[in-house]
Amino acid sequence: MFQATQEPTKWFRNSVTVITLFVLWVATPSTQTARSPRNANYSIDITLDHQTRTLRGRELVTWRNTSSQSTAELHFHLYYNAWRNTRSTWMKERLLGRGLSLHNRPESDWGWTDISSISLVGTDDTPATDLTNNANFIAPDDGNPDDQTVLRVQLPHSVSPDETITLEIEWTARVPRTFARTGTIGNYYFIAQWYPKLGVFAEDGWICHQFHTATNFFADYGVYDVRLTVPSEWILGATGQEQRVTDNRDGTATHHYYAEDVHDFAWTTSPDFLDLQDRFEHPELPDVNIRLLLQPEHRDQAERHFEATRQAFKYYGEWFGAYPYDNVTVIDPAWQSSSGGMEYPTLFTSGTRWLAPTTTNGPEQVTVHEAGHQFFYGVIGNNEVEHAWLDEGLNTFATARAVDQYFPHYWERRFFGSFVPWTFTDISWSRALDGSRLARYRSTARMDIQSTPTFQYWPGSMFSTAYYKTTLWLHTLERFLGWDTLRQGMSDYYTRWTFAHPEPQDFFDSINTAAGENLAWFFDQVHGDSAVFDYGIAQVTNQDAAGKGFFRDVFINNESPVMFETMVVVRRYGDGTFPVDVIVEFADGHREVRPWDGRAQWTTFRFEHSARAISAVVDPERVLMLDINYTNNSWTSSPRATTAATKWTLAWIVWLQDLLLTSAFIV
Amino acid sequence: MTRLWLDGLQRVARAPLLCLGVYTLTFVTTLPMAFVLHDAITTHLGASLVADAVSQGFDAGWWQEFQYATDGGIVETFGPEVIGFAATLSNLSRAADADLPQGAIASVIVFYVAVWAFLLGGILDRLARQRQVTSAGFFAACGVYFWRFTRLALLVVATYWLLFTIVHPWLFQDVYGALTHNSTVERDAAIVRFSLYFLFGILVAAVTLIFDYAKVRTVVEDRRSMLGAVFASARFVRRRLVSTAYLYLLSALVFVIVVFLYSLAAPSANTSGVTVWLGFAIGQIYVAARLVAKLTLYASQTSFFQSELAHATYVARPQPHWPISPMVEAIAPTPDKS
Repeated sequence: MFQATQEPTKWFRNSVTVITLFVLWVATPSTQTARSPRNANYSIDITLDHQTRTLRGRELVTWRNTSSQSTAELHFHLYYNAWRNTRSTWMKERLLGRGLSLHNRPESDWGWTDISSISLVGTDDTPATDLTNNANFIAPDDGNPDDQTVLRVQLPHSVSPDETITLEIEWTARVPRTFARTGTIGNYYFIAQWYPKLGVFAEDGWICHQFHTATNFFADYGVYDVRLTVPSEWILGATGQEQRVTDNRDGTATHHYYAEDVHDFAWTTSPDFLDLQDRFEHPELPDVNIRLLLQPEHRDQAERHFEATRQAFKYYGEWFGAYPYDNVTVIDPAWQSSSGGMEYPTLFTSGTRWLAPTTTNGPEQVTVHEAGHQFFYGVIGNNEVEHAWLDEGLNTFATARAVDQYFPHYWERRFFGSFVPWTFTDISWSRALDGSRLARYRSTARMDIQSTPTFQYWPGSMFSTAYYKTTLWLHTLERFLGWDTLRQGMSDYYTRWTFAHPEPQDFFDSINTAAGENLAWFFDQVHGDSAVFDYGIAQVTNQDAAGKGFFRDVFINNESPVMFETMVVVRRYGDGTFPVDVIVEFADGHREVRPWDGRAQWTTFRFEHSARAISAVVDPERVLMLDINYTNNSWTSSPRATTAATKWTLAWIVWLQDLLLTSAFIV
Repeated sequence: MTRLWLDGLQRVARAPLLCLGVYTLTFVTTLPMAFVLHDAITTHLGASLVADAVSQGFDAGWWQEFQYATDGGIVETFGPEVIGFAATLSNLSRAADADLPQGAIASVIVFYVAVWAFLLGGILDRLARQRQVTSAGFFAACGVYFWRFTRLALLVVATYWLLFTIVHPWLFQDVYGALTHNSTVERDAAIVRFSLYFLFGILVAAVTLIFDYAKVRTVVEDRRSMLGAVFASARFVRRRLVSTAYLYLLSALVFVIVVFLYSLAAPSANTSGVTVWLGFAIGQIYVAARLVAKLTLYASQTSFFQSELAHATYVARPQPHWPISPMVEAIAPTPDKS
């Protein structure tokens, strides 16, 4: 099952001393009060061999059972094994969602983790126990016998509630050419999900899912004490704070990082980074040191990264609550590294292009989003594997709101192999559309029900269902309840579940409390169902209120009516229901607004007025951001469709003429 | 060479109907599809108030709904790329990346190129003789060279097919991929890509140059063998490489100037009322300028060839005349009585 044990290095031989120190350290209260349960603590020594792209590591993981159940086994994630071969669950799911693009990679691109040894660290009363032969791979989600991303370790005895045990694990890993999020290219490394990481033991057992393409991660909070050995001239950034750097005088240096109350640890190293510093300061929020590791070709975009991070911390801090750590590291990933736009505790990767006009929000959008994940993911540690919308959706919503406050927002297209940007400064994105999120949601609205565990989503609909749909329904709630109410609900959720693992109902409870009403009717539709919303004006008629024809045998045919009866038929085309307003405007400027609960398949509103109706709109304020077809929401007696069509057809003609001329160079 | 280019421009200027004809062709070709798009937009907007916003500027929200609702076809080609100078940029980009149009648009292009190929004999004949011709004479010349140019077209299509489906993927997938596979610096990859654009551009220009002079020689020397015309053209270009390249680059420079000027004057999305038509008029001036530039290239190449191996206005084949119709013969005086 495992490869042969590697030759131990010198520091391995001193393990007894290190273990003793570590156990003492874990047992010693921190100078700062623990903000999280700290029930999964890691002390890791890792060495990167750049020539062979190999990690050699040893970790001491100290785990405390915080549930009320005992367990006689531990479950570990070995994420790198997703890229060991094409038969892993990750690779099979990738095939479903995006085809064979990663399947034909050369031998050098693949990665894996091999466990060399596992042992239960002894105490005063019990000796150390070798558990290497007690470990086997399991596939709790799909039973895939070829998947090696979850390792189960049988313990010699049960771990009782509140009992603590320590395991020592030695492993080697080959760093892949990035398949997703983590890996290497050239002399750039972004190393995430790289160490044997414990799952979460809950009341009903281990939550330790296999690695799936559609999901992120889930782990317990703890303290990470990590010593990373890399080539001596290389710059390194990691979760937490750097304590010291030791030159090993063998061409390597060891960077010691320490992080408290985090649930993951990621790091990056490269000789090419520009190492820059700045600071977030706010009168009502704690200061945060911002470290930016920037690619040299993006030197002129440094301030844009800093400003985006500062603005994210400002708005998220003001809206939801303070960022509890005093530092954050922003990584500008190398081109083609495929590691951009990913969040880790106190560290995230942004992403930009060599040519990134200031008129678009190229680095800003992703930087704000990933900085925002420090709140919804880092501080609120929901289960991303089962409820990704709780962090991705909430954060995408908040990102759109923050970006809308501060950054320019124009449409961009890229030409000539996508290297040359072109900004349409006359096409401004409105936040009402949240970028193209409505468009992307529209096309996959029925693909999955949001409450389905995220790892079971169709691989191609994860973004639509977890990110965009949530953004749209939160935006709907913002317009329905008012921003103050929604913000209060989200802030309450943030405060209440800091350094904890909330469930969807916990978020709904916070919103219900803030709203002062039970919004289950809404959550059941948007979260518990794949209901589609679409209201429209089906018909508008104006006629003489006095009527025409025979009335008591008298024929009435009024040529100049003084009162008109207007009938407006509003139809619900989708299966989702939502209360909407209907506004009707008359020729004399008079307006009338009628509310509708939106439940029936259709309804008719009748007006009597001295002038004809000239327009009607259902949901005029566009509260229902989930309405997938807003064009049919209105009607006018003076349609300008022909004018609009002529304008754009003329522009299209010039485009086609240009295309014809460009294509006709061959004659 | 500049003098020759100016001579070419004069030849084009003396053929205003020719310019009008090719402009009309370029405009009329777009109309059937334009009506389809117009109808699709009108139908989708219906009586909606959204049309107000759409008639003022580019309403991204509506456009996304429109794209989703109409499900492909010609509507797929309507997007922000049609706005102003982005249209030029996106079309050049597509050509450089060999992103060949599909579906209905591809058929429009094939039609347009085929009509150009048919007209080319008449166009070159007119520019070479520098004499006014009647429409009958023009189309007679088109007819004379049609089958020759059809045979030449087989060579042309085969060569460009080779360039765009074999050479281009090799350069931009295999070579570019190999050179940038492990690159972590986007700027370096961009330099590689634009170097390959330059290389591919030279290949295309060289092929175009040879085929251009093959057409000129076919008309001026009344050549029947198109293979012979291509070889003769290659010989001509090889022996006068600097001159032919210079003339070609001069025309390319004119193209760049036209495109640059259009980038300054191109309309934005936020037009309404009369400014919509003003923007369209600017677009038509741009299209006309490109057509004149294209005709000037033909004319200057013809002028160059005549100045080297013939003389100005020389065309080996007698000017074709349209045969007298039976009706004319019936009412005209008999020849021996005239």
